[in-house]
Amino acid sequence: MNRQGPGYGAVSRRTLVRGMAAAGTLAGIGMPFVARAAEPIRIGFPTPVTGPFGAEAKDQIRSAELAVKQFNEAGGLNGRMAELLVRDDKLNPGEAATRTLELIEKDRAHFIVGALSSAVQLSVNEITRSRKVIYVSISQSDTINEAKDFSRHTFHEALNPHMTTAAVAKHAFKKGTRVAYLVADYAYGHEMLRGFKRAAAAIGTETAGEILHPFGAPDYSTFMPRLRAMRPDILCICNFGRDQANSIKQANDFGLKKVSRIVVPVLLHNQRLAGGADAFEGVVGASNYYWRLEETVPTAKAFNDAFRAAYAGAVPTDYGAYGYTAVRSLLMAVKAAGDTDTDKVVTALEGLKYDVAKGPESYRACDHQAIQSVLITESKKKSEMQGEADLFKILEVEPGSEAMLRSCDELGHRA
Amino acid sequence: MQTLDQTVVDAPTARPALPRRSPIATDALSRWRAPLSILALLALPFLLPSQALAVNVLIYGLYAVGYNLLYGYTGLLSFGHAAFFGTGAYVTGIAIGTYGLHPLAAMALAVVVASGLALALGALSIRSRGIYFAMVTLALAQLVYYVALQASTWTGGENGLRGFTVTTIDLGIVSLDILNPLTKYLFVLAFVGAALALISRILASPFGAVIEAIRENETRARACGFDVERTKLLAFVLSGLFCGLAGALSAIHLSIVPLDSLAYHTSGTAVVMTLVGGAGTFFGPFVGALTVLVLEDVLSLWTPHWQLALGSVFILFVLFMPRGLWGTALARLTAFRGRA
Repeated sequence: MNRQGPGYGAVSRRTLVRGMAAAGTLAGIGMPFVARAAEPIRIGFPTPVTGPFGAEAKDQIRSAELAVKQFNEAGGLNGRMAELLVRDDKLNPGEAATRTLELIEKDRAHFIVGALSSAVQLSVNEITRSRKVIYVSISQSDTINEAKDFSRHTFHEALNPHMTTAAVAKHAFKKGTRVAYLVADYAYGHEMLRGFKRAAAAIGTETAGEILHPFGAPDYSTFMPRLRAMRPDILCICNFGRDQANSIKQANDFGLKKVSRIVVPVLLHNQRLAGGADAFEGVVGASNYYWRLEETVPTAKAFNDAFRAAYAGAVPTDYGAYGYTAVRSLLMAVKAAGDTDTDKVVTALEGLKYDVAKGPESYRACDHQAIQSVLITESKKKSEMQGEADLFKILEVEPGSEAMLRSCDELGHRA
Repeated sequence: MQTLDQTVVDAPTARPALPRRSPIATDALSRWRAPLSILALLALPFLLPSQALAVNVLIYGLYAVGYNLLYGYTGLLSFGHAAFFGTGAYVTGIAIGTYGLHPLAAMALAVVVASGLALALGALSIRSRGIYFAMVTLALAQLVYYVALQASTWTGGENGLRGFTVTTIDLGIVSLDILNPLTKYLFVLAFVGAALALISRILASPFGAVIEAIRENETRARACGFDVERTKLLAFVLSGLFCGLAGALSAIHLSIVPLDSLAYHTSGTAVVMTLVGGAGTFFGPFVGALTVLVLEDVLSLWTPHWQLALGSVFILFVLFMPRGLWGTALARLTAFRGRA
């Protein structure tokens, strides 16, 4: 064939190139309209994948992904699928703020869920509320409920220190019991101490003494003899994560368990695993979720089964469950609203009554705090454990009620 | 004149600078370094994965450039520059949030306070040298950190400072919408560009020559009749001033001030960025900030083990590129032009 000219019926290369360019341009212009029809529902998920809370973050991601998967398998929002955009916030508020800006400005996330520390969630909230993006926080904090940090777009799915300490105190404190406190010297520790003392005052317990320890302290040996000398009936340890495991271990070594009962505001699955059964034996604390809730709550059973099926028989943890309840309820609200429009979803979330893993939950109108049950659990003896994940005994399930929370007035919300 | 327009210099403790083979070679780069830098930075938001990251590069770039004034040019290894960055950020936030100052006024105040703090910390630390200087600055910066931690009614303590989000900046004629990422970038670039021009001018002045003389040989500089202590102190204050400005910009950018901005690893960040980019080069710290931040951003998307990868990259830099990315590039360029 003559290479210079087009053969019969053939299309010259130039024409072909022109045609392709034109088609490409048209497609390029047309794309946004086509794409918008099936635009996914994007949920930004900043979480500390690296850092001391990495184990909790990993559980949160797995649970959140499960919620997204279930939503998509059920057909999404009329065919619109959801996707989870996980970002590592490195447990650093500045990094979290940058990541949240990226998620909103570049990835066009419709909603933000996540963060795992008081400071980090408050910084994410600062970014989202000025840009009018819904943020569902899944980490404990009292501050985020207060009027100063609240906005119409702020939701708090996690428990707060006030709720957990009140529930633990109600269960463990009696009139006249002597309580000693060991408190991590930072915002979250102070919030927990405040909660306990408030509950203690109402019940009428005595304070045997309180000791502040530096955040992240590895060694508690100087505090233990002083605590022992106070002869408390109850030793209340107000710290979190690795500090909790370390201080409980050392309290055990110093024989404090022989004279007093140890209670903590939050008793965590992963920390119990890290600390070991012997150190934690008999320690009482609160949590938002424990997998054996499935024996009484049908939605917990459904959640656990789905989780086991997706992750090779593993059970969800407490902080992990937050990822599920938050994303699942958010997507329920999206479905109820029929749209990803922020205002409509806020209204839907405010009116939502949901039971997705742990019994009924709903958001309080004034501060968007999730009203939910609080579990009181006790760490089991090694000999009583039936299997590796059987860590706790559920002593009590304190049903969710507004009475657990600080009043709207106290938080500074005008009626 | 030899030192004034010289762009390529070695790290402070390294061997003396190479003789320049051709004055024309780096002349253009050197004479136009500030405008060229600003031009390069103008393209940044369109090249990087996100504008939020680009603004961070500007802010940390300025922070590292300010730090480089002291480390790369004067030869003083400070480990406490977070104090100035954090103070700049906190003062901006408090001035806007608590006192309702105009953002520009708040930033001006922040720069003044950060320079004042630099004067105080500099006066206390400048007479020690080497590792002692590094330790004294680190200790003083930790003092500032704990003051911020304790004064939680002012600073928000552990939770960080919030509640001063700047959405628009009223400039009299126009009002800038800071929530728009590109507008915010250009706003920050205006300050960073001005700072770069100023730093370039400072380095080209006799003062700039003197600080380099002190770095190369302090005894000789003293013998030449220069007041070494006063010059060092002035360099320290100038360095603190630019780091304070970077902090003020970061407060505007993130609309929060985390307590971490005063922590010692923020000081370490300045050192790392300066070393990766090239200590003692004008634009090097910017290249360092860009490299570190982009690597962190991109790697952490791919793998939870990004720290491992980043650490390896740093080790490779220290072993095979002691002059940093920009320093090495400039040296190659000079050598190449010299041959031609």
